[in-house]
Amino acid sequence: MSYKIPMGPYHPALEEPYKLDLICEGETVCDAKLHIGFNFRGIEHLAETRNYFQVVALMERVCGICSNIHTLTLCQAMEGLTGLTPPPRAKYIRVIMAELERLHSHVLWAGIAAKLMGFKTMFMTCFEIREKIMDVLCAISGNRVNYAMNRIGGVNRDISDPQAILKMVEALELEMAHTVIPIFTTSRTAISRCANIGVLTNEKAVSCGVVGPTARAAGLPQDIRRAAPYAAYDEMEFDVPVQPAGDVTARLLVRALEIMESCKILRQALAKLPPGEINTGDDKFPFTTGTATSRVEAPRGEVMYSVSWKEGSRTPSRVHVRTPTFANMPAIRWMVMGARLADTPLIQASIDPCYSCTDR
Amino acid sequence: MSPLETIAEKLGTTEPWVEKGGAHWLPLGAMNVRELATAMNGLRARFVTITAYQLPKEEGFRLEYHWDLDGQLLGFTFLLAGNSIESIYDLCEAVDWIEREIHEGFGIDFTGREYEPLLLRKGDTPGVNLRDTVAAGKEKI
Repeated sequence: MSYKIPMGPYHPALEEPYKLDLICEGETVCDAKLHIGFNFRGIEHLAETRNYFQVVALMERVCGICSNIHTLTLCQAMEGLTGLTPPPRAKYIRVIMAELERLHSHVLWAGIAAKLMGFKTMFMTCFEIREKIMDVLCAISGNRVNYAMNRIGGVNRDISDPQAILKMVEALELEMAHTVIPIFTTSRTAISRCANIGVLTNEKAVSCGVVGPTARAAGLPQDIRRAAPYAAYDEMEFDVPVQPAGDVTARLLVRALEIMESCKILRQALAKLPPGEINTGDDKFPFTTGTATSRVEAPRGEVMYSVSWKEGSRTPSRVHVRTPTFANMPAIRWMVMGARLADTPLIQASIDPCYSCTDR
Repeated sequence: MSPLETIAEKLGTTEPWVEKGGAHWLPLGAMNVRELATAMNGLRARFVTITAYQLPKEEGFRLEYHWDLDGQLLGFTFLLAGNSIESIYDLCEAVDWIEREIHEGFGIDFTGREYEPLLLRKGDTPGVNLRDTVAAGKEKI
């Protein structure tokens, strides 16, 4: 006999509201239905009422964790409509901010995953490390979240002392290499909770169109930084970690390896930061009529913006956001099918879902 | 022959690709959306999203379908005089949520599929969020 267990929209295992109706037989999940929309704020519609300065601030608030990525993608699309090209230094600063954001997002996820595994010590360790990354972000931007770094034609703030940031990054890299990654990859607690759990097959990953670490952990080597480089990524050397297993362990390993790759990119970007202006200095923008798209690799995967403008207008006529969690969340249904009920919170968390992004 | 030219040939069109606004656009002529989805599946392109635009003065809608092929963003435009278009959900599982979202946000009917309960909010009237005529209570769907 099957029965339905509703999980959410408010539940201790969920960091944000969404609802999962789990159809179970005994302790085994047979099927699941996802319900989202609890954080729907109508941001795309609101964007049509905001001018080209205000819309950047608005879209920064789509997500608290990857706020920088949203303004970066939006500004790149708006630069496509204005014909502006950011100076080289601005492109490097965009890379530095994006990688710092990826680091803090991945370490935040590692902490939450540790908590869901019942590994509280590791949760505290991850959050201690994350604080140090937040300190670096704060040192650069003056803010812990919503950094307000991007603008049309460049960035708002310079990195005055790259060497100081480099020292912080090196310390972080050491701590992650010596603490977080070995524990996650070798500890019996982590392995017993993650191995062969929540498997997303390569075939299903392709048909669901999943992105980011969720795709890479199912054997798909896709990364927009590599496939369609933006900002200064074409000048960076880095690897794209791919794991074939498709389980929670694979997603954990991909993110762990990406932490090290982010540190590698940060060291290169800080060492090679070119001199010069940080933006084009424009404060009036000649938008042409048309639509521009932009894609970047956020911590959770590809973000895409389509921005439509009419010449002479101060407000966009349409802003459409396709977030990575919007692409990844439907795959949860396939990951939890056949899983034990007790594993479902960790399986859901393993895609690092962001409901604010998804609902907009 | 370049990869894009190969795609155009497979899609059976002689129109040239236009690179504009960060994507490669191909006019499709008489090809319908299901033929396009089948062709994209054959190329193993990854579905990215659909963006809906409401055209002024009740002219209908414009839907832009996007696929990614090896890092190249491909764009295809469909103009809707009314408010319906064939669903490609049975051909491309990844379109499920975006078809549902557009159905709810613009009142566009993707024919040939069933809809799950609403994604965005409670209620039973699609189109209250972005489609201004419905939002203003001028039209019922």
